[in-house]
Amino acid sequence: MNEFVERLIGLHWAEPKPAYDVVIVGGGGHGLATAYYLATRHGINNVCVLERAYIGGGNSGRNTTVIRANYGIPEAVRFYQHSVDLYQGLEEETERSVMHRAKGLLWLAHSEMGVRAERARAEVNTAFGAKTEFVSAQEVKEICPQIDLSGGGEWPVMGGSHYRAGATARHDRVVWAYAEGAMRCGVHVHQRTAVTGLLKDGDRVIGVKTDKGPIAASLVLSAVGGQVTTLASMAGLRLPIRSHPLQAFVTNHYGLEFDPIVASADLLFYASQTARGEMLMGAEIDRQPSYSYRSGHPFIQSCALRAMTLLPFLRNLKILRQWTGVCDMSPDYSPIMGFTGVDGFAITTGWGTWGFKGIPAGGEQMALLIASGEVPELIAPFALDRFARDRTLADRGSAGTH
Amino acid sequence: MSEERVAASVDILVDGQRVPLSSTATPEPLLVGLLREGLHPTGGGCLCMAGDCSHCLATVDGVSYVRTCQVLANPGMVVERNHFAGAHPPLIPEAEPPTVRELPAQHQWCDVAVIGQGTSGRAETARLRELGRHVVTLDAGAGQEVAGIYAGPTVVVRTQEATLTVHVREEIVVATGAAEIQPVALGTELSGLMTARACAAFHEAGLDLGSVVAVGEPPAGVEARSLKGRLRRCEGTSCVTAVVMLQDDGTEARHLCDTVSFGLGLHPRTALVRMGHDLPVRAIGDCALPSKIPLPPIEGTVCACSGVRVSDLDFVWNNGFHELELVKRATLAGTGTCQGSACLPHIRSFLEAKGKELQSPFTARPLTRQLTFQEVAAGAHHHATPRTPLHEEHLALGAHMQRSGGWWRPWDYGDVAAERIAVREAVSLGDVSTLGKFLIQGHDALEFLELVYPTKVATLADGRSRYALLLNERGYVLDDGLICREHAERFFLTLTSAGSTLGELWLRDWAESRKFDIAILNQTQSLAAINVTGPKAAELMVRAGARSLPSFATHGASKIAGVECRVLRLSFTGEISYELHHAAVDSVRLWRRLLELGGDLGARPHGLDALMRLRLEKGHIAVGQDTDFDSTPRRIAHEWAVKLDKAEFIGKFAVERTNRQPLDRELVGLEMELPAPLEGAPVWHDESYVGYVTSSTDSSVLGKAVLLAWVDLVGGQVPPVVTVGGRDSRRLAQRATLPFFDAAGERARAKVSVRTLRAQLDAKAGAEADVPSHARSDVESDAQSDAESEVVRMQRATDISGRFAGLEATRLAGAPEVLDEALSSLELPIEGFALRFAPDEVMVTTDVATVQTAVRAALSSAAFNTLMIERETGFAATWLEPSEALALLSQGCAWELPSERPAFAQGAAWEIPVKLWFEHHRVLFIVPAPYAADLDRRMFAGAPSASAGATQ
Repeated sequence: MNEFVERLIGLHWAEPKPAYDVVIVGGGGHGLATAYYLATRHGINNVCVLERAYIGGGNSGRNTTVIRANYGIPEAVRFYQHSVDLYQGLEEETERSVMHRAKGLLWLAHSEMGVRAERARAEVNTAFGAKTEFVSAQEVKEICPQIDLSGGGEWPVMGGSHYRAGATARHDRVVWAYAEGAMRCGVHVHQRTAVTGLLKDGDRVIGVKTDKGPIAASLVLSAVGGQVTTLASMAGLRLPIRSHPLQAFVTNHYGLEFDPIVASADLLFYASQTARGEMLMGAEIDRQPSYSYRSGHPFIQSCALRAMTLLPFLRNLKILRQWTGVCDMSPDYSPIMGFTGVDGFAITTGWGTWGFKGIPAGGEQMALLIASGEVPELIAPFALDRFARDRTLADRGSAGTH
Repeated sequence: MSEERVAASVDILVDGQRVPLSSTATPEPLLVGLLREGLHPTGGGCLCMAGDCSHCLATVDGVSYVRTCQVLANPGMVVERNHFAGAHPPLIPEAEPPTVRELPAQHQWCDVAVIGQGTSGRAETARLRELGRHVVTLDAGAGQEVAGIYAGPTVVVRTQEATLTVHVREEIVVATGAAEIQPVALGTELSGLMTARACAAFHEAGLDLGSVVAVGEPPAGVEARSLKGRLRRCEGTSCVTAVVMLQDDGTEARHLCDTVSFGLGLHPRTALVRMGHDLPVRAIGDCALPSKIPLPPIEGTVCACSGVRVSDLDFVWNNGFHELELVKRATLAGTGTCQGSACLPHIRSFLEAKGKELQSPFTARPLTRQLTFQEVAAGAHHHATPRTPLHEEHLALGAHMQRSGGWWRPWDYGDVAAERIAVREAVSLGDVSTLGKFLIQGHDALEFLELVYPTKVATLADGRSRYALLLNERGYVLDDGLICREHAERFFLTLTSAGSTLGELWLRDWAESRKFDIAILNQTQSLAAINVTGPKAAELMVRAGARSLPSFATHGASKIAGVECRVLRLSFTGEISYELHHAAVDSVRLWRRLLELGGDLGARPHGLDALMRLRLEKGHIAVGQDTDFDSTPRRIAHEWAVKLDKAEFIGKFAVERTNRQPLDRELVGLEMELPAPLEGAPVWHDESYVGYVTSSTDSSVLGKAVLLAWVDLVGGQVPPVVTVGGRDSRRLAQRATLPFFDAAGERARAKVSVRTLRAQLDAKAGAEADVPSHARSDVESDAQSDAESEVVRMQRATDISGRFAGLEATRLAGAPEVLDEALSSLELPIEGFALRFAPDEVMVTTDVATVQTAVRAALSSAAFNTLMIERETGFAATWLEPSEALALLSQGCAWELPSERPAFAQGAAWEIPVKLWFEHHRVLFIVPAPYAADLDRRMFAGAPSASAGATQ
């Protein structure tokens, strides 16, 4: 029997209604988690989630499943550490297996400047609850014996930061667990329903137009990935977002022998092994903004080389499949969450390369915002108006591989 | 079995056991060889012999997931059947795998690529060739396995010799035919099952198939009993012994057999077509036929790669997973080696039966045929880190080299403390060749710089220099550097080492978008720069022949140690500093001579670590380290560098807007007791986090630690006292005014009298008339230096790096039409050439003086004055025979080369910027000298010798 066949989660689909209290656009992790927390924490279940294709088909299903909080600024460390904590309790809460596993994340340094950056990362992370240690090259080897410390003679490992709570989870199952939990509380999820416009009363947003007909709502939340600037422009908002492709690939399946998550900011790649035994690789975003899901040959060539340089055992492994997601990058590499200044329209976006990590905390906090009408303290710094107010959250540590 | 076969028997190693392989004169597929010995690679499963399924996988010579039907059996092959019964091969083999020869990359160009050379592929190829198209054919049967179609369009192919990239100008024709539909029923994991075509192929190869029964279309040329009805199950323990059919009347019929052939219909191989759906890709032949959807599966394995059964599909369907893409993810069917080739028709059929809708196939992504990391990485290179002309000098001096700011730089020479003392107390040399260096010339030069810089450039007098910030449209600091004015229409700019690449794009963007009448010449690689710094810097400069020295914040041309230099007086270290910008080719000589002349002054080089600590004592910011991408001039206390009363400059509106917001944080100086905290350490006020340390050093001259840190304002001001460190290890730090050291700037701005220094030097020379000549000053020795310079130049011409030698040339930049005129006036020397790098830039192999004379004579003085004509020694080059050149380029160059001769082409090759000059009988490879060593290694060291392709 195939242990990876989903055996627990049941999805329940409903017929659309003409109106809901809350319409969430985007059936990815953030949209579904928000619906889940609205229903389970606040008793708000007259909610629908609209998805143009199938749930979890965007970046929620295209990421490299890493869960971490070792970011560069206190606001981000606090937020993501809360998300890491929620992830740890997610299986117990939903009674579903999302294959969550803490593996530890090693971030390697190959230069004096890199060592400084990793030492600094460890300091700031630890100060805000994301315990991170600076480890020597020898300790790196103990944590991950497969690493070639000489970096192929060109990129010697001089140390790194080690974030023990770094984890992975099966991305699809996170999406489905939230979807199922929300559905059980009465939330409607409508797939193959594309939003084509917004219903407005003056400047106020009062619902959405879809290819299946209009749906009225007291509040519309955009949890869209990729085409978020298009949706926001329908509400009269110009978002400071540029969407860039981000690519990844996996190998065929091999025995489970590679334990940690390994990243290198200088070589710009990260690697882990999935529960099925695939080596999973990712790298930096494409420089050229685009909405394209097309996979690139230069990317995989270069990333394969960079990964092999530190992990020489990869050289004979077969690469099975590559794919591409689209990352909504904000100018300060931090997400944008909250009300927008347009009545009836809230937003959660700017999830760049860190969207999967932020799903539980993002969903929980957006639900709190919608239910209370107040901006929760944890996400107050991430408001959209921070750009106009010159209160950006420059987070050099956020991306790591930019 | 023929006599010939027995005679040519060879051994391979299967699971550690020697297995004799019978072989014909031409090698046969490995799968056939294994089956001949009764060895099914994975233990069982319906074999297709066409690469469409995952039933014949094995680990071959250390590489797992090899389709044994697609590789030929070679003597000595090591085969491990660790895919047996769905097991995973080990991630890291116990035995070190044999070193696999590094595959080269190959690039080919064509009008049309035809994938598949079956009947339709061959016919289409012939048709296209008749139409005059240049066609490249790719056929798995000929060992060319297509791994993917990418943008371009390009086709990536594994061949026996290389990882091939085919660059297609017009279209890709996919003639991959159709795959045979796999059986889905109980017992399909047994051996002895095969598709009808595989059955025919095995029969033809002489395998003993025993008693054959045929389900569906019978195999061609094989004696087989055709069975009626629908397949119910296969029976047997490991080999099939019987097949049970469900007959039309609902009863089961059992048929004994040794082999079952399945002719269940064809399913077009559309993966490549789907992958290239928005590219010029055309499907022909069987590949273009509509999919045959088989009967909905009832029981058994649907996806052998992931071990998914019909019951699993039922399970997830009943749990609400109805979309094909969701079913795929919930079961993982279609995500294995065959990428859905075997299971997709059955899953679509299953879902159609359940949901009354035939869903589109799931997304096809590369790779259709898996490649190893090594195969994928063929032709890829790491980003090359450039070296300054002094790289070898640093190594010889024991430097610890580090990548920093995109360059190899000396971090230290083993003793940072001594390096710092040399700067503060004597004199020291620093290699600052990595600075971005740009000449701006033209009528609008001043107006242009007024736009891009927030300082008032107009108030800068001829011969003066000024530190300036560069802001982006958001009013945030982009970079910093110097503006040196020669005259109103000619300026020399420096940018930071790390920022100059972006900075150049920035400058050119604004120049072009606002149509300024200027030309920009990037001299970053052309000029080396040595910083002579310390209280005895002037003395060393005079010894080296300086007849006059620029005063603080001025610059001038001077001959130092016989080398023409642009001398900039400024200071980053806080001491008297002369930055000597000079031709790259002269740098080694200048560096050595300065160290020699300064030996008794205590001169020694300093590295980047010392430099960053010294500048921190002076409170100078390092853009990128101390600034972030939201640093406004106000936040970094650089409002003095921004003149808001200027009419316009980039970022002005944003600076005015952000200035209206209350200030929230500032980059400030802090001081505290030793030891210095880590850079990046958090800064606290009471229990609140208020910022972090950006730069930190101990200061021996001050006896304390000094830092720059971002600190939030508390109650409208930066708290005078904070704590620094982790939560449990915080120590007090005080706000300090900048600079920490020599607040009045007396040291850096110290007045220098060349006359006094020369008098002292003359007196000393008189007193020590017998000092060895090498220690004598260069004051009177210009003539000698010029002669020496020639010698060094000649030597250097052979030793830049491997086969690359330095190139002496002249670069001209200016308006395209003026350049055209200038070029027509130039008589190029025999074997000389002019390379048009850009419409407004050209390089000629004529020396700078000759060019100047010729162009001055030909052009009006107004036109001549707009041109930049500069000596260029920043490139290295090598001539190659055309055959060698083209062979190398087919591996390292992913763009199409010109076919006419002579021709000039430029672009990235081996991931390095390369310029190519094609003559009829030779090709010149030109590379920026900082990359010459890397290019030399990549081009020549990695290249296989002529015989390396052969495996015998």
